[in-house]
Amino acid sequence: MKFSYQWLRELVEDLSASPAEAARMITLKTAESEGVEAHGSDSIIEVDNKSLTHRPDLWGHSGMARELAAIFGKKLLDPVKPRQLTGNSPIHVDIEDYTLCPRYSALLLENVTVKPSPAWLAQRLESVGLNAINNVVDVTNFVMAEIAQPMHAFDSTKLHADTIFVRSARDGEEFVSLSEERFTLDPSNLVIADAQGAIALAGVKGGASSGISESTTRIVLESANFNAANVRRTSSRLKLRTDASMRFEKSQDPVNTVRGLYRALELLEQVSPGIRVVGGIADAHRLPPAPAPVALPVKWLERKLGRPISTAEVRAILESLEFRVEELDEETLSVFVPSWRATKDISIREDLVEEVGRMVGYDSITPTAPLAPARVPPASPARLFHHRMREMAAAQGFTEVYNYSFLSDEQAREFGFDPAALVQVANPIAAGQNLLRPSLLPLIAKNLADNARHFDSFRFCEIGREIHPDREIAHFAAAIYSKGDGAAALSELKRLAECLSSGIDFLPVSETRSYEHPHRTAEVLCHRTPIGRLFELHPSMIEGGRGSVLDLDLELLEKLQPLSLRYQPLRRFPVSAFDLSVVAPARALIGKVQTQLAGLAGADLVSISFLRDFGLPGGERSLSYRLTVGASERTLSSDEVAAIRNRIIEGMRAHGYELKV
Amino acid sequence: MTGFLELHSAAVAQLEAAATLEAIEAVRVEFWGRKGKLALASKEFGKLTPEERARSGKLLNEYKQAFEQLYEFRKARLDAAALDARLESEWLDLTAPAPGVRPGSLHPVTQVQKELEDLFVSLGFAIMDGPEVETEHYNFDALNIPSHHPARDMQDTFWLRDGRLLRTHTSPVQVRALEKFGPPLKMIAPGRVFRNEEVDASHEHTFYQLEGMMVDRDVSVAHLIYFMKTLLSAVFHRDVTIRLRPGYFPFVEPGFELDIQCLICGGSGCPVCKHSGWVELLPCGLVNPEVLRYSGVDPKEWNGFAFGLGLTRLVMMRYAIDDIRLLMSGDLRFLNQF
Repeated sequence: MKFSYQWLRELVEDLSASPAEAARMITLKTAESEGVEAHGSDSIIEVDNKSLTHRPDLWGHSGMARELAAIFGKKLLDPVKPRQLTGNSPIHVDIEDYTLCPRYSALLLENVTVKPSPAWLAQRLESVGLNAINNVVDVTNFVMAEIAQPMHAFDSTKLHADTIFVRSARDGEEFVSLSEERFTLDPSNLVIADAQGAIALAGVKGGASSGISESTTRIVLESANFNAANVRRTSSRLKLRTDASMRFEKSQDPVNTVRGLYRALELLEQVSPGIRVVGGIADAHRLPPAPAPVALPVKWLERKLGRPISTAEVRAILESLEFRVEELDEETLSVFVPSWRATKDISIREDLVEEVGRMVGYDSITPTAPLAPARVPPASPARLFHHRMREMAAAQGFTEVYNYSFLSDEQAREFGFDPAALVQVANPIAAGQNLLRPSLLPLIAKNLADNARHFDSFRFCEIGREIHPDREIAHFAAAIYSKGDGAAALSELKRLAECLSSGIDFLPVSETRSYEHPHRTAEVLCHRTPIGRLFELHPSMIEGGRGSVLDLDLELLEKLQPLSLRYQPLRRFPVSAFDLSVVAPARALIGKVQTQLAGLAGADLVSISFLRDFGLPGGERSLSYRLTVGASERTLSSDEVAAIRNRIIEGMRAHGYELKV
Repeated sequence: MTGFLELHSAAVAQLEAAATLEAIEAVRVEFWGRKGKLALASKEFGKLTPEERARSGKLLNEYKQAFEQLYEFRKARLDAAALDARLESEWLDLTAPAPGVRPGSLHPVTQVQKELEDLFVSLGFAIMDGPEVETEHYNFDALNIPSHHPARDMQDTFWLRDGRLLRTHTSPVQVRALEKFGPPLKMIAPGRVFRNEEVDASHEHTFYQLEGMMVDRDVSVAHLIYFMKTLLSAVFHRDVTIRLRPGYFPFVEPGFELDIQCLICGGSGCPVCKHSGWVELLPCGLVNPEVLRYSGVDPKEWNGFAFGLGLTRLVMMRYAIDDIRLLMSGDLRFLNQF
């Protein structure tokens, strides 16, 4: 919103602050000023629209003038002079639903001369970014920019009959705007209509059929109030944002409609001499009752601000902003909210904390530590666990990446997902970002391909959320890109998994997915519960090297972490160790053989570790293990150790393995 | 008795000539070993008179001590030489690169987030989390942003086909945390948020925020300023000057924009602060009673403050990152620097 400094000065008596100082104080006390620009002999203060969202009154110069008058202790000048317009209006107004249009005021004028505006008017509008069109339209825009009341002028000779209807559009009703855009409406859109059809889109834009032209001599001036949500809905659905709709969607003050007519009439008499009013004002309204005053206990206000303030000072501040204040008792004020702040902005005492706070200045408040009992906050174990995981991964050489939560149909399909079954974005930013990721893997694969352009080998990890229709699951993914046979990379990822948690095992799977290497894929178990996959990307998924990936369900992994740990007493009696070499087929599993050996060793087994894998002529392998045995309450005799060893050898033979003894 | 001197002189001469540990040992064995020439000499003492025996014994003992002294001296010399030779042979090129992997880097957002989490935990705040896919209720309605409220324009929203949305801010966690734990509560909620915006060097559709809230019996603007000053001084590792000015956010009342005095120019004005001396840093305010009511908390009994810190923005300030897209790029040339 652009504010003309000259215009503001006309509305504040003796405003002496420079444009820069006014802008600075507006920022500190009212709304964010984005800077001051010279415009001829004037200065334009630009204020961020977002900071005016809650202030319908600041969409006109008189609202900002009121702020400046309060800030600098000056007198506010009202540009509107009420007039006596008696007599019945020849215009009838028929409002279908007063919740959508609480008030519709109109005035019929004749003997109008449509011509270009005088320079002062055209320049004033241009200085605040409005185009000068002709004297009649320019006056309506001037009033809007001055008192925030949007207005519209119809050529009354182009209207059919003398009743103005405010009604819902018929389904499929056609409407052509002043700028010749064609819209097809539905009953959610509110229109202004004559006997024949829509002549304006209520609160948004006038229609082409009844627009002002050079030959216009009789006009109907509309100054109405429309429901904010309805205007906003219509303007966003039709993608038609106008200066009027921007104001109405902030909840304008219905008291202002007649004031707008007074002000417009005064200006039209200047720019179209000889203009005459026909009858009085047509004014249909069903206004909401004036809100009850807000009780403001001054002690409470002091506690909210965290600084002392006298009742007199509170009262003076509120009155400078044109609130009416009564004293209920010595410590409580009864505050009557002016109509232009009551539509949405101010209804509770907390709103008044802001009014007083901003005017006394927040820099007058001394920072104070709260006096509150010390409390231990609720714990957040998942977050700590995630931090532990990423720190461990980083220590093992994995750099953390963050990926988007979005995927394309193609990326989803490549990783075996049916796009129709995924969470879909209704308004994606790009065609390739229409799905939410049900897996970290598609983008991990992309990271592999992207970085392979710069490095021969690298490793990275991500902690992120899988998004499924019914829930979000935190996952950990790690990947290594390498040249060569890829075995070492898988081994490194195995080691990483074992660093992340105790109880990790790998179970090769026979059923692999299309993106997995069919002979290099294992399920990852934690304390025998499946928690993820370890695999090499299928060669069709990656070029130039190999991509090895670990993908773990962090939520599950966290649940499987032991809650408490109890130490094992140190062994008091010596243990004995012996090595065994098992002759196994070419594709025997080292882990499976180890499990079999451990099972046969029985209760006295202390530990078992794999030593080496030695290829034999004919394709078989010799797998060597070291077993350590011992009893907890005594020393095993050499005969007992030999008996265990023999039992294992016999047992393995029964399983079909020969042993190299 | 005759010949002792010759033998001793020969032993000394050979010892001095011997160049290895083996050679001096051989000399020792030849002369003073169990069957050594000088060791055997004492066996001939039987033929001597007691006086001669005593004199010869004394002499022989002196020769033995002299030999042993020289032997130890020579041995020490040769040991030292041998050690020197070994050390010399063990020369290593310590500029050769060490094998093995180096630690990876944590994402810069993770690092700053962790730092802030630790800071807030030390101030007694809990760390909370909420879903990235949110309902309209938690993201807007419960935060006092009803549908068709113009404040919804402030946040371009990714809507999902099932009617839900991607959270546009971490503020929904305020409501979720209050519903779960009730007052009094001090919490922060760092997390990923989404805005439907075109991406360029300074705009991202995916970025990180850190929400904070304190709800207690009598929380004031003075308390809010105190916490913000403490927080920001810790974040920037120096005492900072802040100011509050009015800002509109429907979930706080009163609402503020918090500015920090420009750390580059100290407030005198420079391009970073657009010559104003101040840099807009975070929105904050006292929690709107409507939000408390939506969270099942009685606003007559409790109130609080809330703030929203732009984590991504803070990371960019800290590391002077001039292109926001790098953070979500997965590019290890960038990420390995942290």
